[in-house]
Amino acid sequence: MTANLADPAVTPEELRRPDDDTPEPRAARWRWPLTPKMFIVAGVAAAIGYLALVPLGYLIWGTFFDAQGLDLGSFQRAYGDGRMGELWGNSLAFAGGAALLSITVGTTLAYLNVRTAVPFKALFFAASIVPLIVPGILYTVSWIFLASPQIGLLNAFLEPIFGAAPFNIFTIWGMIWVEGLHSSPIVFLLMVAAFRSMDPSLEESALMSGASRMQTLRKVTLPLVRPALLSSILVILITSLESFEVPALLGLQNGIYVFTSRIYFVLRSYPQDLGAAGALAVSLLAVAVIGVAVTRLLAGKGSKTYQTVTGKGFRPRPLDLGKWKPVVGVGILFYFFVTVVGPLLVLLYAALLPFYQAPSWEAFASFTFDNFAQVFEMNSAARALKNSLILGLSSAAIVMSLMAVAAWISVRSTIPGRGIVEQLSFVPLVIPGIVLGLSISFVYLRFPLPIYGTILILLIAYCTKYMPYGMRYASTSMTQISAELEESAMVSGASWWTTFRRVLLPLLSPGITAGFIYILVVSFRELSSSILLYSPGNEVLSILIWEQFENGSFNVLAAIGVLMVLALMFMVTVAYKLGAKVGLRED
Amino acid sequence: MRKPRTLARTALAAGAVMVLAACGGNPTASPAAGDAVGTEASGPTEAEQLYEEIAGLSGQERRDRLVELAAEENGLNLYTSMNADMVDAVTEAFEDEFDIEPSVYRAGSETVLQRVLQEQDAGFPGNDVVETNATELMALQQEDVMAQCASPERIQEVPEAGQYEDWVATRFNLFAPSWNTDIISDPPEVWEDLADPKYDGQLALELGDYDWYMALTNYWLDQGKTQEEVDQLWADIVDGAKVVKGHTVMAELMSAGQYGLASSNYTYIVEAAKAAGAPLETQPYVNPIIARPNGGSCMKTAENPATAMLFMDWLLTEGQEVLAAAEATPSTAEVEAELIAVDGQKLLDEGSEWSQRYDAGEPGRPLPAPPQTKE
Repeated sequence: MTANLADPAVTPEELRRPDDDTPEPRAARWRWPLTPKMFIVAGVAAAIGYLALVPLGYLIWGTFFDAQGLDLGSFQRAYGDGRMGELWGNSLAFAGGAALLSITVGTTLAYLNVRTAVPFKALFFAASIVPLIVPGILYTVSWIFLASPQIGLLNAFLEPIFGAAPFNIFTIWGMIWVEGLHSSPIVFLLMVAAFRSMDPSLEESALMSGASRMQTLRKVTLPLVRPALLSSILVILITSLESFEVPALLGLQNGIYVFTSRIYFVLRSYPQDLGAAGALAVSLLAVAVIGVAVTRLLAGKGSKTYQTVTGKGFRPRPLDLGKWKPVVGVGILFYFFVTVVGPLLVLLYAALLPFYQAPSWEAFASFTFDNFAQVFEMNSAARALKNSLILGLSSAAIVMSLMAVAAWISVRSTIPGRGIVEQLSFVPLVIPGIVLGLSISFVYLRFPLPIYGTILILLIAYCTKYMPYGMRYASTSMTQISAELEESAMVSGASWWTTFRRVLLPLLSPGITAGFIYILVVSFRELSSSILLYSPGNEVLSILIWEQFENGSFNVLAAIGVLMVLALMFMVTVAYKLGAKVGLRED
Repeated sequence: MRKPRTLARTALAAGAVMVLAACGGNPTASPAAGDAVGTEASGPTEAEQLYEEIAGLSGQERRDRLVELAAEENGLNLYTSMNADMVDAVTEAFEDEFDIEPSVYRAGSETVLQRVLQEQDAGFPGNDVVETNATELMALQQEDVMAQCASPERIQEVPEAGQYEDWVATRFNLFAPSWNTDIISDPPEVWEDLADPKYDGQLALELGDYDWYMALTNYWLDQGKTQEEVDQLWADIVDGAKVVKGHTVMAELMSAGQYGLASSNYTYIVEAAKAAGAPLETQPYVNPIIARPNGGSCMKTAENPATAMLFMDWLLTEGQEVLAAAEATPSTAEVEAELIAVDGQKLLDEGSEWSQRYDAGEPGRPLPAPPQTKE
């Protein structure tokens, strides 16, 4: 029913239903004490503050205070390395390049998917998410198998045309390529949500007034989704700066070191140098704080600028590509063969082999399902899958509900200090996973309720870790919704809670669904804090994957990767079908 | 040193807990809080008393008594960094023998250490037995949270390099060069061969193997090489070498032909790949093999101390065969090759310096000055 809210046929009066809560007088909106609104808003703000401050406090304590008191030696240890300049240079080039690539790819795919009558739509949506599902290590290794100068299959295929080894994955370009593609689904999901909530009549007006398609895109479409673009850039920059898998597997072969390798080394030592890790994380924190502030500033400027969901009804109608349709179609197919099908085929190929070898008749003859059989024979596989599902679904649900309210506080409310909520929600992004795990175990080992040693402690860790992403998804969508819808509901006598539930939530649903899917999918991969916090009986899937890795069974790992892609694709499809049932309808 | 840190942490935790639990719960609700933290002040724990009492017994009498006591306890909590295949074999065999199913927490050795330290700091007796790498066990020995509990007769069977004050080696991880037989026709025979220019572009080093690096350096110095000669050897090894992260990836990429020679993989990973048919080989071993002890011990705060003792005794007797069957190298077994054990104490004292130095020894860069050996 709520789906119709964007439809102008629904008058505000219809929002009032007999079973609604007792309406509050309009003035009550500002009367703080003891309204449900106050409880909800204060509760959400407190939860965010608590989740963010536990790891932050732990890290800051370790960075600035040792047994003797204030200590700045950790900065000396962290930044004293003579190669810091080079490390930062590599890191910034890598992160900047990866951000540029994933923004371009993610945004283009999202635009084509939502706004145009592009061919192969169903295939395309599912496949855009695949890189998100495949664990980083598998995705990176499959690219080594594809584009290494020594053993790369693509290099072998293309050698007759381009000469020996046209691609070299072990360069900064290779690192950017893999990281950029691996992160493009984050952008894709954010931008899909943004484009879904955009009124196409604005673009149509531009076209009618004589603007070319490119001009419209540059002057109308992209400026309107600027908050989503900024959010994407921010998230990708920071996650790429922190990423260690891709630089370690691809960069090290040619001695390309990045700044995160320092964090990896200082955290591995005993006694653990939490101080130095914290000192390193502080620079990430600075980037994040400035980034969030800039996003807020730009998104807040003339708050109406980005509000495309207004009282005027619209149907996001797909744009006809005209003569470009075949070109775009071929481009998309090419993209998928290169970035999705290629790595997946290599994984499947590895999963069918007893050990990796270059393709040959001998290799094909040795194909076996043993690796898959081994996965199904694992004692704890079923339990781990169940735990991962429970954790993924519940952390996605909790985070997105909290962040929907938090986005309202941050974007829409006039509560003093609302900006802090957004800043705090972003904090966990810069905390290294292992530090997050340590801080949580530290607190819950001393907590009066028996949370340590149960699955709840993992849930808390996941909620903390994915809060920043949830917030980006929710607040980006919130900036697109016009305040007038909310005001109409209020004028018609709906309470804040009713308005939130019946008006805002359905309109936010593209963003909420995207965030939900993102968290659900990546939570299956979370290892760095899970491994410290799990207990016998509540193992999760990522721990099982790690165990296979430790066993040295890379090919079993590839089999798990293939199965994960199948299982999560199914769930993502279901989640999107459900998400599409509420909120804006497409034709 | 330990006290102030503990106090500071407790203060921080109390702060964090109070934010949420303003309703006024008891922040030290953990039942064993008192016993665990206050070991130094309040004398031996109950577990320690039991370890002492049993220490006088030997042979079948000891085993019978432990089985009898273990029957009154509540299972066994084991924290270990053994790989899954190994730990599955060990726990199944132990359960078959005594009808006690160990509850196992598995993680990398650094994580096992962090977990135990965190729990001990908070007075939470999470585990009865810890089984992990030498470096981490030395750290735990320094923290004084373990008690030697294995039978003295069994400890005697372990080579001296595997006997420590609070723990004893249960198995060794062997570092040896391995190679792809399709690519390398003349494999290295001595460690110095790794520096041979003929392997340039074919040799891979692992990012975190500084323990191997330390042991090999010391071996060369003990052999009478000068520091300059050793530095030159390392410079030649590093020159033309590729760096990979992780031993599994190291074997996988080698079997795929990305490079031909791996300097320091674990022999069990290479053996497993070989058994699956990969064109990898690690024998004849380059002598001496560098062996890193992995061992175990009982916790002072163990809630099931008799079962813990029983497990350690068993792991050093019947368990040794189970480990061998799972491709591990048991600590009491005779190995045909010459073994050089990584010095656990040295690793603890100088580990971070060696790690930094190894980290800095990337291709094309001169190695910084060696760490000063501590007295």
